Amino acid sequence: MSVTEQGLLERDKDTMTLNMGPQHPSTHGVFRVILEMDGEVVKTAEPEIGYLHTGIEKTSENKRYVHVIPMTDRLDYLNPPGNNLAFCLATEKLLGVEIPERAQALRVIMCELARIASHLVWLGTHALDIGAMTVFLYCWREREMVLDLNEEISGVRMMTSYIRIGGVAKDATRPWLDGIRDFIDYFPAKVDEYESLLTKNPIWMDRTQGIGVFSREEAINWSLSGPALRASGVNWDIRKSRPYSGYEKYGFEVPVYQGGDIYDRYRVRVEEMRQSREIINQAIQKLPTGDYKTPDNKVSLPPRETLHTSMEALIHHFKLVSEGVSVPKGETYVPIEGPRGEVGFYIVSDGTNVPYRVKLRAPSFMAIPGMCQMMTGCYIADVVGIIGSIDIVMGEVDR
Amino acid sequence: MGLIEDAAERVGDELNNLKLNVQDSIEAMDHEYAGSLYDTVLTTKLGKVVGWAQKNALWPATFGLACCAIEMMAMANSRWDAARFGAEVFRASPRQADLMIVSGRVSQKMAPILKQIYDQMPEPKWVMSMGACASCGGVFNNYSIVQGVDRVVPVDVYVPGCPPGPEALLYGLIKLQEKIMAEAGTDKAKKRVA
Amino acid sequence: MTGEEIIATVKAGLPDTIQDTALPQGDAVIFVAPDCLQKVAAFLKDDPSLKFDYLSDVSGVDYLIEEREPRFEAVYLLYSIDHSHSIRIRVGVEEENPSVPTVSELWKGALYPEQELFDMFGIHIEGHPRMERLIMPKDWVGHPLRKDYPLTTEPVAFSHNRDFKSELVKSKPPTR
Repeated sequence: MSVTEQGLLERDKDTMTLNMGPQHPSTHGVFRVILEMDGEVVKTAEPEIGYLHTGIEKTSENKRYVHVIPMTDRLDYLNPPGNNLAFCLATEKLLGVEIPERAQALRVIMCELARIASHLVWLGTHALDIGAMTVFLYCWREREMVLDLNEEISGVRMMTSYIRIGGVAKDATRPWLDGIRDFIDYFPAKVDEYESLLTKNPIWMDRTQGIGVFSREEAINWSLSGPALRASGVNWDIRKSRPYSGYEKYGFEVPVYQGGDIYDRYRVRVEEMRQSREIINQAIQKLPTGDYKTPDNKVSLPPRETLHTSMEALIHHFKLVSEGVSVPKGETYVPIEGPRGEVGFYIVSDGTNVPYRVKLRAPSFMAIPGMCQMMTGCYIADVVGIIGSIDIVMGEVDR
Repeated sequence: MGLIEDAAERVGDELNNLKLNVQDSIEAMDHEYAGSLYDTVLTTKLGKVVGWAQKNALWPATFGLACCAIEMMAMANSRWDAARFGAEVFRASPRQADLMIVSGRVSQKMAPILKQIYDQMPEPKWVMSMGACASCGGVFNNYSIVQGVDRVVPVDVYVPGCPPGPEALLYGLIKLQEKIMAEAGTDKAKKRVA
Repeated sequence: MTGEEIIATVKAGLPDTIQDTALPQGDAVIFVAPDCLQKVAAFLKDDPSLKFDYLSDVSGVDYLIEEREPRFEAVYLLYSIDHSHSIRIRVGVEEENPSVPTVSELWKGALYPEQELFDMFGIHIEGHPRMERLIMPKDWVGHPLRKDYPLTTEPVAFSHNRDFKSELVKSKPPTR
């Protein structure tokens, strides 16, 4: 039959199928969504993931605990200290080891710096998708300061692997602490600058208010977490409900808004940047003295000076470097509050120095069906805004 | 006696063949370089100019896959401005780009799409493999990661690192520019046609 | 409510359906058989003192190396937003025709992790609207996270296995 007849047969379908991704500048990684559209309105959005599957969970079953920590860096690659912390907390819960207060404070500082850096990436890319390119350049300028601090303390800009089982890798240095003080003095004016560009901007408000709305019940039922959940009116932050690593000592607020649309998620994250800066400020001022890792040498390496004089230290050092930590048999799950939501590792141990099963609870993975549910009924231009507002990172979705 | 005659005949045949081959090659060379010295000098100079233009305006295609994509974005930003080296805009459509920076780990599911995007790019095109995962599989040697993107597409520059800092990526870009200039006007550059 | 209180309430409300309980490091854990899962889940969600309305995750574990019967396990992590407590449900799944009923009618957030359970372990989820591969390519054979699935079939290229490496070099597309 002729081409036009075939075209008319195809037209029996009311909808047009549009494929978005996996290579697309706005999908924040390799994420594919197949949209059934009636004109410009999206009828259904079907996601397809798996384009970044790395087999990290299976690889972790063949590596010692300390070698899994760099693997966890590369899961949610915008929040490496958070992933490290979740894994270390779960392992330490199985080991039953106490973490000294200075180590806890250093962990909190590192995690909150990562939260600020991650939110800066989110704001930059989200604004770029919606059309505000200036914010993209401004946010990366501040992010460079945070990455310089990372490099100062751990040697690496992004994948720090600074948080280790039993504490942290290295003690805080004077240049690092001075750099953090400079950053927290400089940062609040910058957040005000971003807000002055976007929050009352009529174009921004038109493109984000009332779009991608999720009610409180829907957000809980679809297992959203983090800022997306808090923008829908649910006051749930793991740092407040299940405090870990000394968070109960710091006074900070958790922003909760009721609208459940893109605009409220934006406001939650901008306010979280301010609160993170406040937490770092308190942690720096109250930084306890003491050990930066647990003195239990079966878990963390003994100080290098003692290797010359103490036989037990030498043996512990040798055992830890050659074999690694042996974790007692059991299973556990410890959640932390990452920039995207609840991050947790479900670890099953069989008593050896190699984990039996490592499962990441990824907030972006759990958010994708809810996100596609939000897309139904909105315009194609809003799809990009919704993906940006949920802030998915494909590294943790596909693992 | 018969042996020596046979050998002499064979040598004579070989010499004849050789003479004919040389004559053929001279004729072929005459065809190719018709116009001789004047023409080759002009083509080479023109080639160098074309190469200079190509290297100063390498527009990358957005192919950010994983963590390396964040450092690639950092390279494009104000601190390590890639625009001053010519990589002014990151084109979303591969049909408008001439450099594909494969930044991140390539999984088995993504490999056919990588090949498809590479095929959609018009000549001349270059590929930069950014990071350890794209160069050789990186830290991941398992069932799901392609051990090096050069199993799928031909790569011109490898940039190691996990992730390579933006300064390393810029160095890779400059090295690619040097490669383009070194090849400009030669047969290698002439091969980059559709 | 603490872990002990949660377990006591659950045992009181569902007398015969709980196989076993545990309290590792203070977390409430209950062991349930697959056919009782939906009943237990509905009770946990609807009971006003428990009110587990948030499903955090569904994980799978393959206990082949530990030689434990049943071979697989599906682990459900639940939270209550109002009461701020949590519980873990561990469901043992047989090796022959592994199958678990779905909980996605109670918690929509279970759709994706249950599909991943099928993809990675081969555990069939009854009543799930979409039983197909999620993360692996659609035509992949095998379930990667099972313990009898190899991590990789290709050795790492060193200098002592040069033969393997030269074969590899020959099979690559030519550089220009």
